[in-house]
Amino acid sequence: MTTLYQNFQSVVRGEEGAQINFRDFIRDNITNSWWLALAVLFLTYVAARLVIAQTQAAPVTTLIIVGVWLLSVTATVMGNITHHHSRVTMWLSRNLYTSLASTLVTLILLLLVVAALRGFIGWAFVRASFSTDPEVAAETLAQWDNPGANWGAVIDNFRNLMVFRFPREQSWRIWALILWNVLLLIPSGYVFSREVFRRSRLRTVLIILWLFTPILAYILLRGFGTGGPVPVLNPDLFWGGLLLTLIIAVFGIVASFPLGVVLSLGRRSQIRGIPAWLTYGITGLLTVYLLITTTFPALRTATGIGQQLLAFWPLLIMLAAFLFQKYFKGNAVAMLSTVYIEVIRGVPLITILFMSIILFPIFLPPGVEVLSTWRVLAAVALFAAAYLAENIRGGLQSIPKGQYEAADAIGLSTAKKYRLIILPQALRAVIPAIVGQFIGLFKDTTLVAIVGLIELLGVANLISAQPDWLGVRREPYVFIAIIYFIGSYAMAGYSRRLERQLGVGER
Amino acid sequence: MAEFTPQVPKPDESVPFWRDLRVLGVLAQIAAIIAVVLGAAWLLNNVAANLVTLGESQFICQDGSSSFRCAFNFLRLDAQFDISETSIAYDPSDSYSRALLVGALNTIKVSFFGIILATVLGTVTGIARLSSNWLVSSVARWYVDIIRNTPLLLQLFFLFFGVILLLPPIREAIQPFGLPVYLSQRGFEMPGPVMMPSFRTWLFFILAGVVLAAVFSWLLGRIQQHQSGSVHRWLWPVLLFVAVAVGGWFFAMRSAADNQGLLATPESGIATFDDIAATVQARLGVDELRDLDELEASGVLTEDEILAAALSVCAVRDDPAEVNLTAQLRRANIPYTVSRNTTLDKTAADFTGGDCDVFVASQAELADIQSAQPELATGTLVPLAETPVRISVPRIEGLNFVGGIKMTPNFAAILIGLSVYTGAFIAEIVRAGIQSVSKGQTEAARALGLSESQRLWLIILPQALRVIIPPLTSQYLNLVKNSSLAIAVGYPDLWSTAFTTLNQSGRPIQVFLIVMGTYLSFSLLISAFLNWYNQRIAFVER
Repeated sequence: MTTLYQNFQSVVRGEEGAQINFRDFIRDNITNSWWLALAVLFLTYVAARLVIAQTQAAPVTTLIIVGVWLLSVTATVMGNITHHHSRVTMWLSRNLYTSLASTLVTLILLLLVVAALRGFIGWAFVRASFSTDPEVAAETLAQWDNPGANWGAVIDNFRNLMVFRFPREQSWRIWALILWNVLLLIPSGYVFSREVFRRSRLRTVLIILWLFTPILAYILLRGFGTGGPVPVLNPDLFWGGLLLTLIIAVFGIVASFPLGVVLSLGRRSQIRGIPAWLTYGITGLLTVYLLITTTFPALRTATGIGQQLLAFWPLLIMLAAFLFQKYFKGNAVAMLSTVYIEVIRGVPLITILFMSIILFPIFLPPGVEVLSTWRVLAAVALFAAAYLAENIRGGLQSIPKGQYEAADAIGLSTAKKYRLIILPQALRAVIPAIVGQFIGLFKDTTLVAIVGLIELLGVANLISAQPDWLGVRREPYVFIAIIYFIGSYAMAGYSRRLERQLGVGER
Repeated sequence: MAEFTPQVPKPDESVPFWRDLRVLGVLAQIAAIIAVVLGAAWLLNNVAANLVTLGESQFICQDGSSSFRCAFNFLRLDAQFDISETSIAYDPSDSYSRALLVGALNTIKVSFFGIILATVLGTVTGIARLSSNWLVSSVARWYVDIIRNTPLLLQLFFLFFGVILLLPPIREAIQPFGLPVYLSQRGFEMPGPVMMPSFRTWLFFILAGVVLAAVFSWLLGRIQQHQSGSVHRWLWPVLLFVAVAVGGWFFAMRSAADNQGLLATPESGIATFDDIAATVQARLGVDELRDLDELEASGVLTEDEILAAALSVCAVRDDPAEVNLTAQLRRANIPYTVSRNTTLDKTAADFTGGDCDVFVASQAELADIQSAQPELATGTLVPLAETPVRISVPRIEGLNFVGGIKMTPNFAAILIGLSVYTGAFIAEIVRAGIQSVSKGQTEAARALGLSESQRLWLIILPQALRVIIPPLTSQYLNLVKNSSLAIAVGYPDLWSTAFTTLNQSGRPIQVFLIVMGTYLSFSLLISAFLNWYNQRIAFVER
């Protein structure tokens, strides 16, 4: 581009024989390659079509956009020619108008983004109704050909979205829990981020208080006794909305921690395996026994080659024994952990949730009944444990071998080696990954709406069935999307900050 | 400070067995196995106790005896439920196993197209995130942030209930950018290819072209090793392939000259394909069919007059011959109407009943019909030219769309939802992959005088791919697993059909085993394939 501008400059200065060299400009911006030429042609076409279409749809806005675009392009080009950039044109020339193609793309995107924003604002604010009275809302919306959002449905159901059917007179229990957490969070943020408190007793106190929190949460949310200050509430009936979403997500991560650590250590364990002769001996005997007792009778009754082949299923035991020896060197702990982790990670969460609802009762002794909330919580924790185990395994792998050797060298026992040396470092390294997993779990809690628990999404679905707000679907969805977005985005930002603070990946 | 004295075992002192790691290891394993076996035994015991209440009929064999061996025999029973979308023939009287197979194929279908769409979307967005244009990178960043930070199920619900089902009805279907694509609350309609019988001939040429091009490319590689100077290892084989494919196209066209045909009534006066235009022109009383739209617009002819004069076609439903004929009629701007019937005989009956001017089918079928029904012998058999592939375009006929490819609202919701969601994650992977290639590589490529595209294809992408593939694998796996959310938008995927099977047959344990086994094998297959690919492109460490 420079050449063209230099030429321009010469022309502007009125030098002898100066003329604008368009050839270089065209070469740089269009004919450099076939692809570029095609792209510019295509972009020009799209931009023209879009301008025409938008002029019909929204003349004033489009005129303003195209005008601003033209003006800013001119200003930038003039700035380039005269080498006198204002701060604005400098930024424009570097970020929006770097080349002809980029300039066209800017116009196209500008038109599209403004059209999308206009559409959204028109729907969400201009043509919207904010009245919680369904009749007023219907009247307000009826005056538009293309009515906007009916926010009354969300405002009217705000409490439902937050806590659903949690008894109104017991609301203080939730407020108390929130207060407790905030009161703990503020000093924790201060104490744990400062080096001064490294050896302070304050830390121990705070950790003990944090460990007490789940118990307090259980007492407040579930209650005990019937006549006391915190009567028992049936979670299947009274837990719902955002409350249930948070319970599931937090419980999932916290409860999966012990199992996750055990599984990750189990998968990496290098203890001496069961010797091959023992494995093959036991499985061999078992196979022969099963072949005699099941296969031969089955072969007699089998019809067709398929059934005959199926009858030889005991041979699969030998195959399993072979794989066990080949890949795990006879280490049963590693095998069990790996199989658990891979099976759970290989199937969708929804099948596991349905299992907890449908299969769980079959696997319990007859007569024992467990509330579906507890079943779903257990399923989520068992599911999260497999993913957590893989995250922690990543942390364990990041610990240099020297740390293990040093721990061995100073004579620590295996338990102490892991408790004092390995796990603190490994867990510190995977905190960001665990926060990431927590975000995933927070979003995945929506799936429990499919198995019949009324969490945030479940409440949103119910709103459209209320007689007052029949068919109102978009508004609650947008509202809870904002809740999820804020929650996940904030946590992701926290995780990034943590990553920097911990210096993960810098070692 | 406590005194620390290392305890060094004396050489003659052997380690006590409770501190011997080998013994401890075996003990730990035995404990683990015993715990697992005991747990499993307890669970199975409970299952056995519960099965008494569930009914032992779960395990009834064909001969009436009851045995665990027959746990899966129920798969042969009639499914007795309908599936709204199938890729293979299915009927409620088919077996449960067939129903599950239909579901599994639907899962494969949505995963396959989802993976392709998500990869394209993710790659484009990932590159856009790195664009020097601020607006482009911001829009890409907003897309990624919004999609990644909201739940997939919520997006699916919003897309299905809040967008697709609120689209206009069929009559007012939206046509974006004037393309022959129609979006309505009953789904998306778009043009699609229809294979003609001669497609097989062409396919043979395409395969031969691929083999030839591969051999040629390999030969060029050998030559390159022995010669200095560069040989185009891609251009010439691709040209060879194109030449073979184009040659094959025309060969297939010629060889298919008497594949399909029209049976025309003697009254219509059609003896060759070109007569059709003349006949319709004569009926309308116009000289040139090209002006038809103008004549209609200017009011000389009404729509009803044109429809009355249009060529009426009888065809068997879903017969490619109909697509072939109508595509040619559209090209010649000849107005036509089509009446379809389910079988050849019924269609022939319509034709003899005088419903239509022409009867389109394969020439062999027409000859059979003619010999079987003497009243048809007077009709003229007109051969119909054929290309291996014809594009079928959707058209509104009555209350429905005919032709083209149809996407149901359910399939559209799950496909778009999955692709957009996974695309956002892939975008971040692609961005990280490209950023992981150090700037020095770009500078070195420029210093070597490579062109921009050579730099991208030969320097940046191969190195970025090594970083991209492993996380990409897990995203593909996530997409396959997330396709189980199809149940929320009513698309009959594996999990959805399995759930119906489970409810109808009352055999939850067996169905769960089948479903989890299937999802596990999908996961293993994908990761095995991508692991193989990853090893192929991985750095050879020295």
